[in-house]
Amino acid sequence: MNPVELLGNIIEVSHSNLEITSRINAVLGIMSQGMDFDEAIVFTSDQDKRLTSRFKNQKSTLYKILDSYRCHIGEGVIGGVAQKRIPQYYDNKNIPPRFGCLFYPELDSLVGKYKSFAFLPLSDDSYIYGVLVLCTPDRRFITDAEKILLSIISREIGGVLRINDLFLSSKKRISELATLSELGKILSSNAEPQALLKDIGLIIAKSLNALFVTIKLDHAFLRVEPQRYTYGILDQPIENYLNELEQEALRQKKTVSLRNHGQTEDDISSKYSLYATPIMSKNRILGTIAICGGRSQKDYAFEENSRYLINTFANYIASGLENTLLNTKLKDVIKDLNNAQKRIIDQEKFKSLGEMTANIAHEIKNPLVVIGGFTKRLAKKMRMDQTESRYVDIITNEVSRLESILNDLLNYVKDTPVPAETCNMNDCIDEVLHLFSSDTTWDRMQVLKRYDKNLPSAPCDMQQIKQVFINIIINAHEAMNGEGTITISTGKTIMDNKQFVFVSITDTGGGINASLIDNIFNPFFTTKERGTGLGLAISNKIIHNHDGKIEIENMVGKGATFFVYLPVKNHTNREELL
Amino acid sequence: MNDIKILVVDDEENIRFLFKEELEEEGYQVEVASNGFEAIDKVKGTRFDVIVMDIKMPGMDGIQALNEIKNMIKEQPVILCSAYGEFKQDFSSWISDAYVVKSADTSELKQTIKNILNI
Repeated sequence: MNPVELLGNIIEVSHSNLEITSRINAVLGIMSQGMDFDEAIVFTSDQDKRLTSRFKNQKSTLYKILDSYRCHIGEGVIGGVAQKRIPQYYDNKNIPPRFGCLFYPELDSLVGKYKSFAFLPLSDDSYIYGVLVLCTPDRRFITDAEKILLSIISREIGGVLRINDLFLSSKKRISELATLSELGKILSSNAEPQALLKDIGLIIAKSLNALFVTIKLDHAFLRVEPQRYTYGILDQPIENYLNELEQEALRQKKTVSLRNHGQTEDDISSKYSLYATPIMSKNRILGTIAICGGRSQKDYAFEENSRYLINTFANYIASGLENTLLNTKLKDVIKDLNNAQKRIIDQEKFKSLGEMTANIAHEIKNPLVVIGGFTKRLAKKMRMDQTESRYVDIITNEVSRLESILNDLLNYVKDTPVPAETCNMNDCIDEVLHLFSSDTTWDRMQVLKRYDKNLPSAPCDMQQIKQVFINIIINAHEAMNGEGTITISTGKTIMDNKQFVFVSITDTGGGINASLIDNIFNPFFTTKERGTGLGLAISNKIIHNHDGKIEIENMVGKGATFFVYLPVKNHTNREELL
Repeated sequence: MNDIKILVVDDEENIRFLFKEELEEEGYQVEVASNGFEAIDKVKGTRFDVIVMDIKMPGMDGIQALNEIKNMIKEQPVILCSAYGEFKQDFSSWISDAYVVKSADTSELKQTIKNILNI
């Protein structure tokens, strides 16, 4: 065939849109026919610098044999051409046995069939893409003109391979970028750590076509129990290797793989390729990420990619976790701040409400005293029948009720210092209970006392503390409609390294409606028809003035327990003041 | 009884009137003053067996007046009588002889006066 025509045909095919294998195979076909070569085989170099036969003309018989082996660059004739990038021509007299390779025993019987051989590098100025191997059964001398033609064709094939390489690597980069941008999107979202790790696992597994991706977190900083997030299926036999590999990655603080870690060529390592790398942030190890690909799929690209990508992923995850945790912390802080703000607003509200109330109460008190006082005087001076005196009674009763509400209000507002006297809560409770002993509405009430007989005394204003217990006990009595059991216990406890005495008062009144529980210490909050809503507010205030606290344990449907805690030693040294 | 003199100090006219009526009915001679200054003036001219003193008053308040009067006459009995209960905790009120929370029911006030007079 005319060389120009041949080159024209080759260029037409090599520039076509065919898929890479068909394209090069077609080029090899045209060339082998046009130049009378039985064999036209292209070896390409892998990223691990080994040569593999990948393309051939249709008639090729050697391809089947050559396909079973890979040879290193520099090894034998093919490896030598790849290394030196100089074409080599042989005839059947000087061709090295088995092409100079230790492998290819099958070649011995076949190579004799061929008389002339040509080996041409497929390279550009900087990179070797492969080697073109040509064999012909005709004993013939390859002319200089043919050599020039072959060098042009091998350049052309090298160019096709180069473009394909560039195409593949840019495709790979694009998919990596897409993966990383997907990761970035997730990491910059405000997802919870769990959701975050699940998504990361999914993305990595998808992008690497991995059998599984597993992320194990284990660091106090993360405020989570050691845990593993896996995307894919984690078999029992591989899990043992995985744990070992993860430990190794943590120990070495770098990426380790089953191949270079395990050394032994047993079932697991020949079946899978497994990589683990530590997730590190600011020199803290937060955990490990491991990815696994099946080795059976002969996906060498997986191994190459994995090692590089797993590091990138680990960095991403580390910064993502940091962000998420910071976010979570920030959320907590904001929540605390909001709560604190709410409390302050509430306090301010009640404080100003209290002040206003005190002023109003005071302003109302005087006219009320006048109304009540003169009503009494009127009653004394007038001669009244039963109806009139009933009217007067109503006025005076209502006035005294209003007066007691105002007294409560004015009491609520004041901040009373705790006096130096101390008293025993057992005695205090007994005195309170004594008040109810003659009350007939208490006939169906049972009071169980569980006192701590060695209860220390607590500094307090006994009148005020009695008022607290009276309020709580009356509430309990009303909650049970006058029928039930009140259990009163006393004891000692330590809170914040300070000693406290406590009194617990439990009723069987069905508990407090959960929706009301937050409000019960607020002033003016009441569920009673004629309550002022000040009883528990005042009680709470009194106990707080004593540096103590009131707590409620509410069991809806059963009853409520009020705990009153009072410090045994007053924290401000009052003996010194007095 | 007829020669026992009581001074009622209160800025509210109706309260002064109520207390005057109630106490006169008990047989006491009752004079009134509407603030601390007036009370001190009265005390300078007359000897009172008991002074019933409101606390919150314009001009000079009851606590100030109480202290001034006690400075002048150490043994002068003074009963503080206020709408507030909280002044009990104010140590400057402790030098008073008694403290009564103002109420339409004047029996506590009357009883306190009797206690101070030992009758």
